[in-house]
Order: sequence, then structure tokens, then C-alpha cells
Amino acid sequence: MDKAFIPTETMEFSNLHMVIEWFIKLRWIACMGVLFTLIIFSTYLNIHLPYRILFSINFFLISANTAYNLYLVKIKRKVLTNKEKKVFLHIQIISDYTLLILLIYFTGYLENPMIYYLVFHIMLTSFLFPERTLIIYTFATVCMLITISLLQNRMIIPYYPLSISDDFNQYFDRIIFRTGGLASILIITAYLIASIKDRINFKGKMCEVELSHYKSLDKIKSNFILQVTHELRGPLAAVIGYHEILLKGLTGELPEKSITLLTKANKRTDNLLTMIGEMIDFAYMKSEKEVIYEEKKLSLFDLISENISLVRDSAKKKGISFTVNCAKNIELRTNRDLINMILGNLLTNSIKYSHKDGDVSITCSKKKKEVLLIISDQGIGIDENELGEIFEEFYRTRTARSLEKDGTGLGLAIVKRAVKSLNGKVNVYSRKGNGTSFHITLPDKS
Amino acid sequence: MAQKTILIIDDDLDIIETVTILLKNEGFSILSADNVEKGLEMIKGDNPDLVLLDIMFPEKKTKGFEAANQIKEINPDLPVFAFTAINREYNFDFSKEEIKADEFINKPVATDKLVELINKYL
Repeated sequence: MDKAFIPTETMEFSNLHMVIEWFIKLRWIACMGVLFTLIIFSTYLNIHLPYRILFSINFFLISANTAYNLYLVKIKRKVLTNKEKKVFLHIQIISDYTLLILLIYFTGYLENPMIYYLVFHIMLTSFLFPERTLIIYTFATVCMLITISLLQNRMIIPYYPLSISDDFNQYFDRIIFRTGGLASILIITAYLIASIKDRINFKGKMCEVELSHYKSLDKIKSNFILQVTHELRGPLAAVIGYHEILLKGLTGELPEKSITLLTKANKRTDNLLTMIGEMIDFAYMKSEKEVIYEEKKLSLFDLISENISLVRDSAKKKGISFTVNCAKNIELRTNRDLINMILGNLLTNSIKYSHKDGDVSITCSKKKKEVLLIISDQGIGIDENELGEIFEEFYRTRTARSLEKDGTGLGLAIVKRAVKSLNGKVNVYSRKGNGTSFHITLPDKS
Repeated sequence: MAQKTILIIDDDLDIIETVTILLKNEGFSILSADNVEKGLEMIKGDNPDLVLLDIMFPEKKTKGFEAANQIKEINPDLPVFAFTAINREYNFDFSKEEIKADEFINKPVATDKLVELINKYL
């Protein structure tokens, strides 16, 4: 689990670092392989090749890899920028391509089965660079091969054949050489594919670890909100109590101005309470606490009436009236809490964003196994550009913010989640200045 | 009509103070206890007509739940209103069936609503 707490940037670096290490290791194997082959060829096999040049190329390869290795040890202690890492990799890849092509050129060129090693180089390059860079490298390699072929064809540069005469011994040596070459290609292919598979698995695991890390962070966050909001309710209850005592004049008649101010204070406290309620709902829905939504057969009309009674006071203050158009016999098997969250939030919003003395209509209808619930107001409406975002967490439209200072922007996010938990659907129809209508379709599970 | 006595059990003294003033204003006589033990003593000694019990004590969440059941053991006919700081059924770690309270009230509650409920039981 410790790995889960490595920040992403470091992880990426260490990952790239690992790839570079791996490359250097592979190159060491290649150096040794070439050295070994050259020694065998020059001493035991009857193949004439420009061995001095070949040993020099191998020496150069060993030197280059030593340099890379030393650099890698050195940079281990400091963090390279992405650009520096890329430059380092490009240098390595260019030197690899060049040295391989040179080696092949001096050992029969296209006749040499080792030419297929270029495939491995392209595979390795594909690990590190995006498609475009890979195409450039491939194209450059092909160009280089064609150029060498053409130059050889025009006799501008010499051709170094793998064999000179056709006697039986040489033929046998060539068989060994080709078989050996093919075997090495097969082995390297198998190794590379296995490595790629490992690497993919490793990445997958890293993603899982990271995901679980973020999930646990999200859980901590939700639990924190839950704890804090619970603790906030107590003091608020006391504040609201004291307000009520003062407003009722239980401590003596208050001057008009004090009543006005206290009423304002009370309104803000009420808003705060609503916001805390929303945060608790939201945190619960987001925390991984196993929430079992118990289902009961409930009358939709009763649920609507209960929720209207909860907001009646605030509606009355704004002169807003409710028109309920719902048959009393519509029942559905559902969870009370979730329905309350949906109705509570939508009704609160419809009051908040209605004009004074407006009307809010609640309609419900049942067809087959579905219940359609429509809550419409004639209020400020929602701008077309913002319609897509209103269900986002903490999102509040510009008009909503200007009209009502207090708000969490969680109400509709809760509605969306609650509807989802009930396997229902929610749609919104609105035009700026022309009211808003929420259509909720809920499955009846009875 | 004789004055009815209501016992408030809550660890928050400000809540006790506000509820006391508001309910006294409605014509009730009020007793209060800031912990469950004291509250249980008062139920035995002072015969309240109704108990308002905060079931979200910070010491241990279950204490409030247990207290409701203890009250019912002492006097099964005594109405108990459980006050919670939470407003949804799913927020309980216990099912409501396990708690022997007559009403569950979400804190804070408007006094007229509370009085309406109290009058239903007295």
C-alpha cells in the first residue's frame, strides 16, 4: 500500500528511469553477444569479415553504453526535466540505430539475418515515443537502408559479403551463422514480448493502486465532511433556539429594527442548516459506507404532501403556491429517503428560483411499471449554456448565485445520484427567464 | 388542566436552555438532565410525562440508543422523543425498530411542530 502514496510525477519519472535502466541492460547483453560472436567468427569459423572495423564498432558500443550507464548513475540523485530525459533517450536510440546498421553493413548487409534486429529497435522505440516520433525513426531507418543499397549498387561504397568462396566448409559455417542468427531473433522476440506483457501488467497494477488510493482519499474526504457537518448541527440548533426565544419576545419586547435584523440572521441560519443537510446527504452518498436503501410501498401523493409541508413556511414567505396534480392511488415500491432527497431538493429549488407570488406545479402519472413526476416552476430559468452543468457537484448557475447567496451547489447533484440509485431518469427543460421543469421517471419495483 | 412535565436529556446545556424557555412559554413544566444517568434518576423520582432524549451523545453513539430502551424498561408508557442531528433514516447505524422511541425528531425542530407532536401524546 505504501506505493499508493508516491505522487504521480515521481512515479512517472521512476518508470522512465526503469525503462532507461532496462535499455542499458539490454545493450550490455547486445555488446557481449556481439563480442562473443566476433571472437567465435574470427577464430573458429571460416568467414572473412573486416574484423578490425567490427571490433572497433563493438568497442564504440561498449564505450557508449558505459557512458550512458555512468550518466544514469549520476542522474539518479537529481530529477531530470522531461526534456532532458527525452534528449538522453534520443541520443541512445540514434546511436543504437547507427551502430546496428554499421554492424550489418560490414557483415553482408541485407544478406545478414541480423538485419531483423532493426525490428526490435523499432519495438523498443515504440515504448518510449509517441506515434509520430516512431514513424520518423522508422522512415529514417528505411531511408538509410535504401541509401546504403543504392550506394553499394553504384559501387560508391564497397560491399562486404558474408562469404567469398562456395566450398563446403564455408557453406556449413553459413548455415551455422544463419541458424544462430535466427535463433537469436526468436529468443529476443520471446524475451521482448514477455517484457512488454510484464510492463503492461505492472502499469495496470499501478493504475489499480492509484485508483484505490484516490478512492480512499475520497472516502476520507466524505467521512470528514460527515463528521464536521454533524458537529455543526448541534451549535446551530442552539443558535436557532436563541433566535426563536428573542423573536418571540420571551425576553421582553424588542425594537422593530432588532426584529428585522434577527429575522435576517434567522434566515441565514436556516439556509446554513439546509446546506449542512445537503452536505450530509452528499457525503453519505459518496462515502463507501454500505447504504442499504430499504424499499417500501409508498404513496406518491403522501410523499409529495409531506415534502410540501416541509417547505411550506419558506414558500409562504415568498407567496408561492403549489398546484399538485397527482392521483392519490399512485403507489410505488421505493426508498423513502431517496424520494425525499429528490422532492426536497427540487421543491426547495423551485421556491428559491421562483419569482414572488409564483406557482409551482407538481404532476405525477403512472404508466405500466413507471412513474413520471414533473416539477415545474415559472421562475428565473436556466441559461442554455449552463443546462449541461447543473447536475455537477458544487455547480451553481450565475443567476442562481446572484439571486441567492447561500447554497452548496449540491442539491441537483444529490437529485441526480438519488434518481440513479433508484434506477430512474431525470431530465430538465428550461429557458432563461421562462421557468424550469424537471421530469423524473422512476421504475415501480412492486 | 394540570401542567405537564417534560424531561429534557441532552449534553448540550444551550439546547437545554433554549428548549426549556421555549416549552415553558408553551405552558409546560420542564426538568433537565445533562447525562443519561441523571435523566434515569429523574424519571424514577420526578415522574415526567414525556422525555425528550438526545440520542447522539458524543461519548458513545450507542449510549443514546440504549438510554431510550432503559427509559422504556423503567416506564413502558412514558413517551420518548428521540432527537437526532441527522435527518435521514439511512444515517442510523441501528434500525429504528431497535430503538424504543415513540418519535424521531430531527434537531433543530420548530417549536410549534414540537408542541403539536407533544400534544398528540399527552
